[in-house]
Amino acid sequence: MIDLKNISSIYEDKFIALDDINLKITRGEMVSIVGPAGAGKSTLLRMLTREQVPTAGDVTIDGVNLSSLSSDDIPLLRRKIGTIFQDFKLLSARNAFENVAFALEVVGATSGRIQEDVPKALDIVGLSSKSNNFPYQLSGGEKQRLAIARALIHRPTIILADEPTGNLDMVAGHDVIQLLQKINELGTTVVLVTHNREIVDALSRRVVTMEKGKIVRDQTENGKYII
Amino acid sequence: MLKEKLKRVISHGWTNFHRNSYVSFGTTGVMALVLLLFLGLIAMNFVSGVLVAALENKVDVSVYFKQTTTDDAIMEVKADLEALNTVKTVQYISREEALTLFKERHAQDSLIQESLAELETNPLQSSLNVKAVDTGQYASVVSFLETHKLRTTIDKINFYENEAVIRRVRSISQSAQQWGLIGTLVLAIIAVLVAFNTVRLTIYNQKSEIEIMRLVGGSNWYIRAPYLVEGALYGIFAGVLALIVFYITVGSISPKVAIIMPGVSLSGYFAGNAVQVILLIIAGGVLLGMVSSFIAIRRFLKV
Repeated sequence: MIDLKNISSIYEDKFIALDDINLKITRGEMVSIVGPAGAGKSTLLRMLTREQVPTAGDVTIDGVNLSSLSSDDIPLLRRKIGTIFQDFKLLSARNAFENVAFALEVVGATSGRIQEDVPKALDIVGLSSKSNNFPYQLSGGEKQRLAIARALIHRPTIILADEPTGNLDMVAGHDVIQLLQKINELGTTVVLVTHNREIVDALSRRVVTMEKGKIVRDQTENGKYII
Repeated sequence: MLKEKLKRVISHGWTNFHRNSYVSFGTTGVMALVLLLFLGLIAMNFVSGVLVAALENKVDVSVYFKQTTTDDAIMEVKADLEALNTVKTVQYISREEALTLFKERHAQDSLIQESLAELETNPLQSSLNVKAVDTGQYASVVSFLETHKLRTTIDKINFYENEAVIRRVRSISQSAQQWGLIGTLVLAIIAVLVAFNTVRLTIYNQKSEIEIMRLVGGSNWYIRAPYLVEGALYGIFAGVLALIVFYITVGSISPKVAIIMPGVSLSGYFAGNAVQVILLIIAGGVLLGMVSSFIAIRRFLKV
């Protein structure tokens, strides 16, 4: 479902962020992408949401080449993908309910569906009692769980998580990963970018290791964090 | 579905507006000042227009007829003048009326009264007071008279004495209009820039929110619409605030203006045109807010 073919990304100052990347991720997989800072992990995720376009190569999701998307089609691509960020990226002027509801509103869901689905999503991430709280009234772990609820709400086929535990303590981080595992078990493809050795080792799933913009190792089963 | 989307957009716009109350208050305040400036310019234009009109009204051309001229001849000239589309009014003053007016004007001057009493005949002439539609048209009225078939019955046309005054009034009125227009344009441009930048800063504060909306799949119009509503709300509140301040100010300074310029009623003018003024200011505010939001948000939608 995700296919990166000969992807290179070179910045204007000649810095090579991605260097001839080839990667295929099939439906329902849970893949961890690991590597030191500056290895190109986040750039790779930005290619999948069309925040960035590659200098060379093709990114294909479900058979659609992302380079061919018009700016009007980009929102449609992003609605298929749920994204979770290290810095949560929540709407600070909206409360927890509204943050989750927003992702449904943009896909044109009715008020009835929003009223029905948002409490369920908040319940899944354990934030039912905080639906009226604003992001500044939530802890780091709660913010990330809220971001997961938002990423889940429109039932995306892919979840991209960019260092989702980076700003969290161990317990909160563990909760987040457990949630992602549950989501994956329900059939959603999960791509997890992380620095966290314990998490990767505990997951024991496919691990792709990147260094200096290249994929240096791809352990398809029982992968471990090796740099 | 469209109704629901519209309701959602308006509701989000309102939420943005009242949840960022400090910023909204500041932006509304600046926009209210800008709209007040516009209202001030309207008031200035009104006052200067009244002044110029009053000045122009004082200018006329008098045509004095020889004492031997018959009333019929004068009436013929009057009718011919009235037929001209450059002429606004023609007033006939007979010799008797002229004498009565002269006596009234100099009622306190015993020397003149005695001199008049000694005269056996009325020394004054019949005349026509001509007012042109525009001060620039007096020359053409005069040349019309100069070539009129009854020119021989005319003794004197006082345009030549008044010419300098007429020119002066004309240049004052023209430059008042020109400078008024230039001043209004310059101030209007400054005001629009100030309002635009204020709204831009307000939207800039919400830059990351706009980017997040893009990242979760919001279409450009879906993201933009609540900010347009927010911009319109700034305009509406600013308009209402400016109108309240303006009408209170007009109410309090109007009697003072009437003392300096009798016959000028600022409050009367703005009360009479209240509907147009209110609509203009509210519509202007809404347009200013929405256009500013539209331009400001454009650059954040390129994620």
